[in-house]
Amino acid sequence: MPKDLYDVAIIGCGPGGLQAAIHSASKKAKVIVFGKPRNSSLYKAHIANFCCSEKLISGKEMLEAGRKQAESFDAVFLEEDIIETKNENKLFSLFTESGETFTSRTLILSMGVARKKLRVKGENRLVGRGVSYCVDCDANFYRGLDVAVVGNESAATTGAITLLSYARTVYLICRKLMITDTLYKQLRNSQVKVIQDTWVKEIIGTNDVEEVLLKNGETLKVNGIFVELGAKGALELAANLGAMFDAETISFIETNRKQETNIPGLYAAGDITGQPWQIAKAVGEGCVAGIEATEYAKKLAKS
Amino acid sequence: MGQGVLDVDDNSFESEILKADKPALVDFWAPWCGPCKAIAPVMKELEEAYGDSIVFARCNVDNSPNAPTQYSIRAIPTLILFQDGKVVDQIVGAVPKSQLEGLVKKAL
Ligand SMILES: Cc1cc2nc3c(=O)[nH]c(=O)nc-3n(C[C@H](O)[C@H](O)[C@H](O)COP(=O)(O)OP(=O)(O)OC[C@H]3O[C@@H](n4cnc5c(N)ncnc54)[C@H](O)[C@@H]3O)c2cc1C
Repeated sequence: MPKDLYDVAIIGCGPGGLQAAIHSASKKAKVIVFGKPRNSSLYKAHIANFCCSEKLISGKEMLEAGRKQAESFDAVFLEEDIIETKNENKLFSLFTESGETFTSRTLILSMGVARKKLRVKGENRLVGRGVSYCVDCDANFYRGLDVAVVGNESAATTGAITLLSYARTVYLICRKLMITDTLYKQLRNSQVKVIQDTWVKEIIGTNDVEEVLLKNGETLKVNGIFVELGAKGALELAANLGAMFDAETISFIETNRKQETNIPGLYAAGDITGQPWQIAKAVGEGCVAGIEATEYAKKLAKS
Repeated sequence: MGQGVLDVDDNSFESEILKADKPALVDFWAPWCGPCKAIAPVMKELEEAYGDSIVFARCNVDNSPNAPTQYSIRAIPTLILFQDGKVVDQIVGAVPKSQLEGLVKKAL
Protein backbone atom coordinates (compact mmCIF):
# COMPACT_ATOMS: atom_id res chain seq x y z
CA MET A 1 0.00 0.00 0.00
CA PRO A 2 1.44 3.42 -0.95
CA LYS A 3 2.34 5.41 2.17
CA ASP A 4 0.31 8.44 1.19
CA LEU A 5 -2.93 6.97 -0.05
CA TYR A 6 -5.77 9.46 -0.53
CA ASP A 7 -9.46 8.59 -0.45
CA VAL A 8 -10.45 11.22 -2.98
CA ALA A 9 -8.23 12.94 -5.54
CA ILE A 10 -9.74 15.80 -7.50
CA ILE A 11 -8.35 17.22 -10.73
CA GLY A 12 -9.51 20.81 -10.99
CA CYS A 13 -9.97 23.58 -8.43
CA GLY A 14 -12.88 25.40 -10.10
CA PRO A 15 -16.32 25.40 -8.47
CA GLY A 16 -16.91 21.73 -9.37
CA GLY A 17 -13.68 20.50 -7.81
CA LEU A 18 -13.98 22.81 -4.79
CA GLN A 19 -17.49 21.69 -3.93
CA ALA A 20 -16.45 18.06 -4.32
CA ALA A 21 -13.51 18.73 -1.99
CA ILE A 22 -15.72 20.42 0.60
CA HIS A 23 -18.23 17.56 0.65
CA SER A 24 -15.70 14.77 0.72
CA ALA A 25 -13.31 16.39 3.20
CA SER A 26 -16.16 17.32 5.55
CA LYS A 27 -17.07 13.63 5.60
CA LYS A 28 -13.54 12.92 6.83
CA ALA A 29 -12.17 11.60 3.56
CA LYS A 30 -8.47 12.25 2.92
CA VAL A 31 -8.63 14.65 -0.01
CA ILE A 32 -6.15 16.19 -2.43
CA VAL A 33 -7.02 18.77 -5.09
CA PHE A 34 -4.86 19.55 -8.13
CA GLY A 35 -5.04 22.55 -10.42
CA LYS A 36 -4.41 26.24 -10.83
CA PRO A 37 -7.09 28.77 -9.86
CA ARG A 38 -6.21 31.12 -12.72
CA ASN A 39 -7.05 28.35 -15.20
CA SER A 40 -10.61 28.07 -13.96
CA SER A 41 -13.25 29.58 -16.27
CA LEU A 42 -14.47 31.37 -13.19
CA TYR A 43 -11.22 33.22 -12.50
CA LYS A 44 -11.96 36.20 -14.72
CA ALA A 45 -15.75 36.09 -14.49
CA HIS A 46 -18.16 38.26 -12.52
CA ILE A 47 -21.16 36.40 -11.29
CA ALA A 48 -24.72 37.61 -10.90
CA ASN A 49 -26.85 34.53 -11.47
CA PHE A 50 -25.60 32.19 -8.78
CA CYS A 51 -28.06 31.51 -5.99
CA CYS A 52 -27.58 33.48 -2.78
CA SER A 53 -24.99 35.81 -4.25
CA GLU A 54 -27.22 38.75 -4.77
CA LYS A 55 -24.48 41.25 -5.52
CA LEU A 56 -22.09 40.89 -8.39
CA ILE A 57 -19.15 38.91 -7.02
CA SER A 58 -15.81 38.18 -8.60
CA GLY A 59 -14.93 34.65 -9.59
CA LYS A 60 -11.46 35.02 -8.17
CA GLU A 61 -12.87 35.75 -4.72
CA MET A 62 -15.23 32.79 -4.96
CA LEU A 63 -12.33 30.48 -5.81
CA GLU A 64 -10.28 31.74 -2.88
CA ALA A 65 -13.18 31.39 -0.47
CA GLY A 66 -13.94 27.87 -1.69
CA ARG A 67 -10.38 26.78 -1.20
CA LYS A 68 -10.31 28.14 2.37
CA GLN A 69 -13.54 26.29 3.11
CA ALA A 70 -12.14 23.02 1.78
CA GLU A 71 -8.87 23.56 3.65
CA SER A 72 -10.79 24.08 6.87
CA PHE A 73 -11.88 20.45 6.48
CA ASP A 74 -8.23 19.43 5.87
CA ALA A 75 -8.33 19.02 2.09
CA VAL A 76 -4.83 19.41 0.63
CA PHE A 77 -4.21 21.62 -2.42
CA LEU A 78 -1.41 21.39 -4.94
CA GLU A 79 -1.17 24.06 -7.64
CA GLU A 80 0.10 21.74 -10.32
CA ASP A 81 -1.24 20.17 -13.47
CA ILE A 82 -1.70 16.45 -13.83
CA ILE A 83 0.03 15.14 -16.92
CA GLU A 84 -0.83 11.45 -16.74
CA THR A 85 -3.31 9.18 -15.02
CA LYS A 86 -3.33 5.43 -14.43
CA ASN A 87 -5.81 3.01 -12.95
CA GLU A 88 -4.26 -0.16 -11.52
CA ASN A 89 -5.37 -2.57 -8.81
CA LYS A 90 -8.40 -0.43 -7.95
CA LEU A 91 -6.20 2.61 -7.29
CA PHE A 92 -5.67 5.74 -9.35
CA SER A 93 -2.15 7.11 -9.84
CA LEU A 94 -1.70 10.72 -10.80
CA PHE A 95 1.52 12.18 -12.16
CA THR A 96 2.15 15.89 -11.71
CA GLU A 97 4.06 18.26 -13.96
CA SER A 98 6.88 18.33 -11.39
CA GLY A 99 7.25 14.58 -11.63
CA GLU A 100 5.56 13.55 -8.37
CA THR A 101 3.11 10.67 -8.13
CA PHE A 102 -0.02 10.54 -5.95
CA THR A 103 -2.30 7.60 -5.34
CA SER A 104 -5.98 7.63 -4.50
CA ARG A 105 -8.89 5.24 -4.08
CA THR A 106 -11.17 7.47 -6.13
CA LEU A 107 -10.73 10.21 -8.70
CA ILE A 108 -13.04 13.12 -9.49
CA LEU A 109 -12.45 14.78 -12.84
CA SER A 110 -13.37 18.44 -12.80
CA MET A 111 -11.04 19.93 -15.39
CA GLY A 112 -13.62 22.22 -16.98
CA VAL A 113 -13.47 22.94 -20.68
CA ALA A 114 -10.65 24.71 -22.44
CA ARG A 115 -9.90 25.97 -25.88
CA LYS A 116 -7.84 23.54 -27.94
CA LYS A 117 -7.45 25.31 -31.28
CA LEU A 118 -5.08 28.15 -32.10
CA ARG A 119 -7.48 29.71 -34.59
CA VAL A 120 -4.83 30.83 -37.04
CA LYS A 121 -4.66 30.70 -40.81
CA GLY A 122 -3.67 27.30 -42.20
CA GLU A 123 -4.53 25.40 -39.02
CA ASN A 124 -7.77 23.68 -40.04
CA ARG A 125 -6.62 22.96 -43.56
CA LEU A 126 -3.47 21.19 -42.36
CA VAL A 127 -4.90 19.08 -39.53
CA GLY A 128 -3.41 15.61 -39.90
CA ARG A 129 -0.89 17.00 -42.39
CA GLY A 130 1.47 18.34 -39.81
CA VAL A 131 -0.93 20.03 -37.43
CA SER A 132 -1.57 17.86 -34.38
CA TYR A 133 -3.29 18.32 -31.03
CA CYS A 134 -1.81 15.34 -29.25
CA VAL A 135 1.90 14.77 -28.68
CA ASP A 136 1.28 11.44 -27.00
CA CYS A 137 -0.70 10.21 -30.01
CA ASP A 138 1.40 11.51 -32.87
CA ALA A 139 5.03 11.98 -31.75
CA ASN A 140 5.94 8.69 -33.39
CA PHE A 141 5.10 10.05 -36.88
CA TYR A 142 7.81 12.73 -36.58
CA ARG A 143 10.89 10.58 -36.11
CA GLY A 144 13.96 12.48 -37.30
CA LEU A 145 11.92 15.50 -38.38
CA ASP A 146 11.75 19.10 -37.15
CA VAL A 147 8.74 20.11 -35.09
CA ALA A 148 7.34 23.00 -33.11
CA VAL A 149 5.07 22.92 -30.09
CA VAL A 150 2.94 25.92 -29.20
CA GLY A 151 1.53 26.64 -25.75
CA ASN A 152 2.37 28.32 -22.46
CA GLU A 153 1.69 25.62 -19.93
CA SER A 154 2.35 22.08 -18.80
CA ALA A 155 0.92 20.28 -21.84
CA ALA A 156 3.18 22.16 -24.27
CA THR A 157 6.26 21.91 -22.06
CA THR A 158 6.00 18.21 -21.27
CA GLY A 159 4.99 17.63 -24.89
CA ALA A 160 8.14 19.35 -26.17
CA ILE A 161 10.31 17.28 -23.83
CA THR A 162 8.58 14.07 -24.96
CA LEU A 163 9.14 14.98 -28.61
CA LEU A 164 12.91 15.17 -28.05
CA SER A 165 12.94 11.36 -28.04
CA TYR A 166 11.51 11.31 -31.57
CA ALA A 167 12.16 14.50 -33.53
CA ARG A 168 15.45 16.00 -34.68
CA THR A 169 14.71 19.55 -33.57
CA VAL A 170 12.00 20.67 -31.18
CA TYR A 171 10.96 24.31 -30.81
CA LEU A 172 8.66 25.50 -28.06
CA ILE A 173 6.75 28.64 -29.02
CA CYS A 174 5.23 30.48 -26.07
CA ARG A 175 4.25 33.92 -24.87
CA LYS A 176 5.33 33.26 -21.31
CA LEU A 177 5.69 29.91 -19.63
CA MET A 178 3.38 29.23 -16.71
CA ILE A 179 4.76 26.02 -15.23
CA THR A 180 6.28 24.83 -11.96
CA ASP A 181 9.95 25.57 -11.20
CA THR A 182 10.82 21.89 -11.36
CA LEU A 183 9.39 21.55 -14.85
CA TYR A 184 11.08 24.79 -15.88
CA LYS A 185 14.46 23.42 -14.78
CA GLN A 186 13.84 20.23 -16.69
CA LEU A 187 13.07 22.26 -19.79
CA ARG A 188 16.16 24.46 -19.35
CA ASN A 189 18.36 21.38 -19.11
CA SER A 190 16.86 19.84 -22.23
CA GLN A 191 17.59 20.34 -25.92
CA VAL A 192 14.24 22.04 -26.56
CA LYS A 193 14.73 25.38 -28.32
CA VAL A 194 12.45 27.78 -26.47
CA ILE A 195 11.17 30.80 -28.42
CA GLN A 196 9.50 33.17 -25.95
CA ASP A 197 7.43 36.35 -26.08
CA THR A 198 5.77 35.47 -29.34
CA TRP A 199 3.02 33.32 -30.81
CA VAL A 200 2.01 31.61 -34.02
CA LYS A 201 0.61 33.90 -36.69
CA GLU A 202 0.12 31.46 -39.53
CA ILE A 203 0.81 27.85 -40.47
CA ILE A 204 2.10 27.56 -44.01
CA GLY A 205 2.25 24.60 -46.40
CA THR A 206 0.78 23.42 -49.69
CA ASN A 207 -0.07 19.81 -48.85
CA ASP A 208 1.79 19.44 -45.57
CA VAL A 209 3.11 21.83 -42.97
CA GLU A 210 6.28 23.48 -44.24
CA GLU A 211 6.69 26.61 -42.15
CA VAL A 212 5.33 28.36 -39.12
CA LEU A 213 5.18 32.14 -39.24
CA LEU A 214 5.55 33.81 -35.85
CA LYS A 215 4.18 37.15 -34.70
CA ASN A 216 7.73 38.44 -34.22
CA GLY A 217 8.29 38.03 -37.97
CA GLU A 218 10.46 34.91 -37.66
CA THR A 219 9.65 31.79 -39.70
CA LEU A 220 10.48 28.28 -38.58
CA LYS A 221 10.94 25.51 -41.11
CA VAL A 222 9.20 22.53 -39.55
CA ASN A 223 7.41 19.37 -40.61
CA GLY A 224 4.87 19.55 -37.87
CA ILE A 225 3.33 21.76 -35.24
CA PHE A 226 1.72 20.48 -32.06
CA VAL A 227 -0.92 22.73 -30.57
CA GLU A 228 -0.93 22.06 -26.83
CA LEU A 229 -2.74 24.92 -25.14
CA GLY A 230 -3.25 24.82 -21.38
CA ALA A 231 -3.19 21.59 -19.42
CA LYS A 232 -4.11 18.12 -20.55
CA GLY A 233 -7.84 17.73 -20.79
CA ALA A 234 -10.45 15.02 -20.77
CA LEU A 235 -9.44 13.37 -24.03
CA GLU A 236 -5.96 12.72 -22.70
CA LEU A 237 -6.52 12.11 -18.99
CA ALA A 238 -9.96 10.49 -18.94
CA ALA A 239 -9.96 8.51 -22.17
CA ASN A 240 -6.81 6.72 -21.10
CA LEU A 241 -8.62 5.51 -18.01
CA GLY A 242 -11.32 4.09 -20.26
CA ALA A 243 -13.98 6.72 -19.49
CA MET A 244 -16.88 6.91 -21.93
CA PHE A 245 -17.52 10.15 -23.78
CA ASP A 246 -20.80 11.43 -25.13
CA ALA A 247 -21.17 10.08 -28.64
CA GLU A 248 -22.60 13.27 -30.05
CA THR A 249 -19.57 15.46 -29.48
CA ILE A 250 -16.80 13.21 -28.05
CA SER A 251 -15.99 16.14 -25.76
CA PHE A 252 -17.81 15.42 -22.52
CA ILE A 253 -17.53 12.62 -20.01
CA GLU A 254 -20.66 10.53 -19.54
CA THR A 255 -21.94 10.21 -16.00
CA ASN A 256 -25.09 9.00 -14.28
CA ARG A 257 -26.99 10.82 -11.55
CA LYS A 258 -24.38 9.81 -9.00
CA GLN A 259 -21.74 11.45 -11.20
CA GLU A 260 -20.22 8.00 -11.69
CA THR A 261 -18.49 7.28 -14.98
CA ASN A 262 -18.37 3.79 -16.48
CA ILE A 263 -15.13 3.17 -14.51
CA PRO A 264 -15.60 2.19 -10.83
CA GLY A 265 -14.19 4.88 -8.54
CA LEU A 266 -14.02 7.48 -11.32
CA TYR A 267 -16.39 10.45 -11.15
CA ALA A 268 -16.80 13.65 -13.14
CA ALA A 269 -18.37 17.01 -12.29
CA GLY A 270 -18.78 20.46 -13.77
CA ASP A 271 -18.29 21.79 -17.28
CA ILE A 272 -16.47 18.57 -18.22
CA THR A 273 -19.76 16.63 -18.22
CA GLY A 274 -21.46 18.96 -20.70
CA GLN A 275 -23.68 22.00 -20.86
CA PRO A 276 -24.99 24.20 -19.32
CA TRP A 277 -21.65 25.63 -18.33
CA GLN A 278 -22.77 27.24 -15.11
CA ILE A 279 -21.45 27.43 -11.57
CA ALA A 280 -24.72 26.14 -10.15
CA LYS A 281 -24.44 22.95 -12.18
CA ALA A 282 -20.74 22.55 -11.37
CA VAL A 283 -21.23 22.81 -7.61
CA GLY A 284 -24.32 20.58 -7.74
CA GLU A 285 -22.44 17.85 -9.53
CA GLY A 286 -19.36 18.45 -7.37
CA CYS A 287 -21.43 17.94 -4.24
CA VAL A 288 -22.82 14.63 -5.50
CA ALA A 289 -19.44 13.42 -6.76
CA GLY A 290 -17.78 14.31 -3.44
CA ILE A 291 -20.35 12.39 -1.40
CA GLU A 292 -20.41 9.37 -3.70
CA ALA A 293 -16.62 9.15 -4.00
CA THR A 294 -16.25 9.30 -0.24
CA GLU A 295 -18.68 6.43 0.27
CA TYR A 296 -16.97 4.37 -2.41
CA ALA A 297 -13.54 5.03 -0.91
CA LYS A 298 -14.69 4.03 2.56
CA LYS A 299 -16.14 0.74 1.26
CA LEU A 300 -12.97 0.05 -0.66
CA ALA A 301 -10.84 0.75 2.41
CA LYS A 302 -12.82 -1.85 4.40
CA SER A 303 -12.74 -4.53 1.73
CA MET B 1 -24.18 -6.71 -38.74
CA GLY B 2 -22.99 -6.95 -35.17
CA GLN B 3 -19.82 -8.90 -35.91
CA GLY B 4 -17.93 -6.00 -34.39
CA VAL B 5 -15.12 -3.86 -35.70
CA LEU B 6 -12.61 -5.96 -37.62
CA ASP B 7 -8.92 -5.79 -36.66
CA VAL B 8 -6.69 -5.46 -39.72
CA ASP B 9 -2.92 -5.19 -40.07
CA ASP B 10 -0.33 -4.79 -42.81
CA ASN B 11 -0.79 -8.42 -43.84
CA SER B 12 -4.55 -8.44 -44.09
CA PHE B 13 -5.03 -4.87 -45.31
CA GLU B 14 -5.16 -5.72 -48.98
CA SER B 15 -7.56 -8.64 -48.76
CA GLU B 16 -9.85 -7.22 -46.07
CA ILE B 17 -9.93 -3.56 -47.13
CA LEU B 18 -8.61 -2.88 -50.60
CA LYS B 19 -10.20 -5.97 -52.15
CA ALA B 20 -13.32 -5.94 -50.02
CA ASP B 21 -16.58 -6.34 -51.92
CA LYS B 22 -18.01 -3.48 -49.84
CA PRO B 23 -16.75 -0.01 -48.96
CA ALA B 24 -14.57 -0.03 -45.85
CA LEU B 25 -14.05 2.48 -43.07
CA VAL B 26 -10.70 2.05 -41.35
CA ASP B 27 -9.87 3.61 -38.00
CA PHE B 28 -6.09 4.05 -37.69
CA TRP B 29 -5.40 4.04 -33.98
CA ALA B 30 -2.92 3.13 -31.25
CA PRO B 31 -3.28 1.94 -27.68
CA TRP B 32 -1.54 5.00 -26.19
CA CYS B 33 -3.90 7.45 -27.87
CA GLY B 34 -6.68 8.86 -25.67
CA PRO B 35 -8.81 10.34 -28.47
CA CYS B 36 -8.66 6.95 -30.25
CA LYS B 37 -10.16 5.29 -27.18
CA ALA B 38 -12.86 7.93 -27.02
CA ILE B 39 -14.13 7.24 -30.55
CA ALA B 40 -13.89 3.43 -30.40
CA PRO B 41 -17.45 3.10 -29.01
CA VAL B 42 -18.75 5.31 -31.83
CA MET B 43 -17.19 3.00 -34.42
CA LYS B 44 -18.94 0.12 -32.68
CA GLU B 45 -22.30 1.86 -32.76
CA LEU B 46 -21.93 2.70 -36.44
CA GLU B 47 -20.94 -0.87 -37.17
CA GLU B 48 -24.14 -2.06 -35.56
CA ALA B 49 -26.15 0.32 -37.71
CA TYR B 50 -24.35 0.08 -41.03
CA GLY B 51 -22.29 -3.11 -40.77
CA ASP B 52 -24.37 -4.79 -43.48
CA SER B 53 -23.23 -2.42 -46.18
CA ILE B 54 -19.81 -1.29 -44.97
CA VAL B 55 -16.79 -3.00 -43.49
CA PHE B 56 -15.79 -1.35 -40.22
CA ALA B 57 -12.17 -2.00 -39.36
CA ARG B 58 -9.36 -0.69 -37.24
CA CYS B 59 -5.64 -0.79 -37.83
CA ASN B 60 -3.19 -0.41 -34.94
CA VAL B 61 -0.41 1.80 -36.37
CA ASP B 62 1.92 0.51 -33.70
CA ASN B 63 2.01 -2.99 -35.22
CA SER B 64 1.39 -2.03 -38.83
CA PRO B 65 3.76 0.65 -40.08
CA ASN B 66 3.12 0.15 -43.81
CA ALA B 67 -0.49 1.21 -44.07
CA PRO B 68 -0.01 4.52 -42.23
CA THR B 69 3.00 5.35 -44.40
CA GLN B 70 1.11 4.43 -47.55
CA TYR B 71 -1.73 6.80 -46.64
CA SER B 72 0.52 9.55 -45.20
CA ILE B 73 -1.02 9.29 -41.75
CA ARG B 74 0.53 11.72 -39.30
CA ALA B 75 -2.14 12.03 -36.67
CA ILE B 76 -4.37 9.50 -34.98
CA PRO B 77 -7.15 8.72 -34.94
CA THR B 78 -7.44 9.04 -38.72
CA LEU B 79 -10.49 7.44 -40.31
CA ILE B 80 -10.30 6.62 -43.98
CA LEU B 81 -13.13 5.51 -46.19
CA PHE B 82 -12.10 3.11 -48.97
CA GLN B 83 -14.10 2.05 -51.99
CA ASP B 84 -12.76 -0.29 -54.68
CA GLY B 85 -9.31 -0.04 -53.15
CA LYS B 86 -9.22 3.73 -53.34
CA VAL B 87 -9.44 6.45 -50.72
CA VAL B 88 -12.80 8.21 -50.97
CA ASP B 89 -12.52 10.53 -48.01
CA GLN B 90 -10.94 10.86 -44.60
CA ILE B 91 -11.37 12.47 -41.21
CA VAL B 92 -8.71 13.28 -38.64
CA GLY B 93 -9.35 13.40 -34.91
CA ALA B 94 -12.02 12.33 -32.47
CA VAL B 95 -14.90 13.95 -34.30
CA PRO B 96 -18.58 13.90 -33.28
CA LYS B 97 -20.66 10.89 -34.21
CA SER B 98 -22.74 12.90 -36.68
CA GLN B 99 -19.62 13.77 -38.66
CA LEU B 100 -18.45 10.18 -38.78
CA GLU B 101 -21.92 9.07 -39.76
CA GLY B 102 -21.82 11.64 -42.57
CA LEU B 103 -18.66 9.97 -43.84
CA VAL B 104 -20.27 6.54 -43.66
CA LYS B 105 -23.33 7.74 -45.57
CA LYS B 106 -21.15 8.81 -48.47
CA ALA B 107 -20.51 5.17 -49.14
CA LEU B 108 -24.08 3.93 -48.94
C1 LIG C 1 -16.19 35.01 -18.95
C2 LIG C 1 -17.04 33.97 -18.26
C3 LIG C 1 -18.16 34.35 -17.55
C4 LIG C 1 -18.95 33.41 -16.89
N1 LIG C 1 -20.04 33.83 -16.21
C5 LIG C 1 -20.80 32.91 -15.53
C6 LIG C 1 -21.93 33.35 -14.74
O1 LIG C 1 -22.27 34.52 -14.68
N2 LIG C 1 -22.64 32.41 -14.08
C7 LIG C 1 -22.31 31.08 -14.11
O2 LIG C 1 -22.95 30.27 -13.46
N3 LIG C 1 -21.23 30.65 -14.84
C8 LIG C 1 -20.47 31.53 -15.55
N4 LIG C 1 -19.40 31.09 -16.30
C9 LIG C 1 -19.12 29.63 -16.38
C10 LIG C 1 -18.41 29.11 -15.12
O3 LIG C 1 -17.24 29.85 -14.91
C11 LIG C 1 -18.13 27.62 -15.30
O4 LIG C 1 -19.31 26.94 -15.54
C12 LIG C 1 -17.46 27.02 -14.07
O5 LIG C 1 -16.26 27.69 -13.75
C13 LIG C 1 -17.20 25.53 -14.28
O6 LIG C 1 -16.54 24.99 -13.18
P1 LIG C 1 -15.61 23.73 -13.30
O7 LIG C 1 -15.15 23.45 -11.91
O8 LIG C 1 -16.31 22.65 -14.04
O9 LIG C 1 -14.39 24.15 -14.25
P2 LIG C 1 -13.39 25.39 -14.14
O10 LIG C 1 -13.90 26.42 -13.23
O11 LIG C 1 -13.06 25.81 -15.51
O12 LIG C 1 -12.10 24.77 -13.45
C14 LIG C 1 -11.28 23.85 -14.09
C15 LIG C 1 -10.10 23.56 -13.21
O13 LIG C 1 -9.42 22.42 -13.71
C16 LIG C 1 -8.04 22.64 -13.65
N5 LIG C 1 -7.39 21.75 -14.62
C17 LIG C 1 -7.64 21.59 -15.94
N6 LIG C 1 -6.83 20.67 -16.47
C18 LIG C 1 -6.04 20.24 -15.44
C19 LIG C 1 -4.99 19.29 -15.36
N7 LIG C 1 -4.57 18.58 -16.41
N8 LIG C 1 -4.40 19.11 -14.16
C20 LIG C 1 -4.81 19.81 -13.06
N9 LIG C 1 -5.80 20.71 -13.10
C21 LIG C 1 -6.41 20.92 -14.29
C22 LIG C 1 -7.85 24.11 -13.90
O14 LIG C 1 -6.61 24.53 -13.39
C23 LIG C 1 -9.06 24.67 -13.13
O15 LIG C 1 -8.70 24.84 -11.79
C24 LIG C 1 -18.60 32.03 -16.95
C25 LIG C 1 -17.46 31.65 -17.67
C26 LIG C 1 -16.68 32.59 -18.33
C27 LIG C 1 -15.47 32.13 -19.08
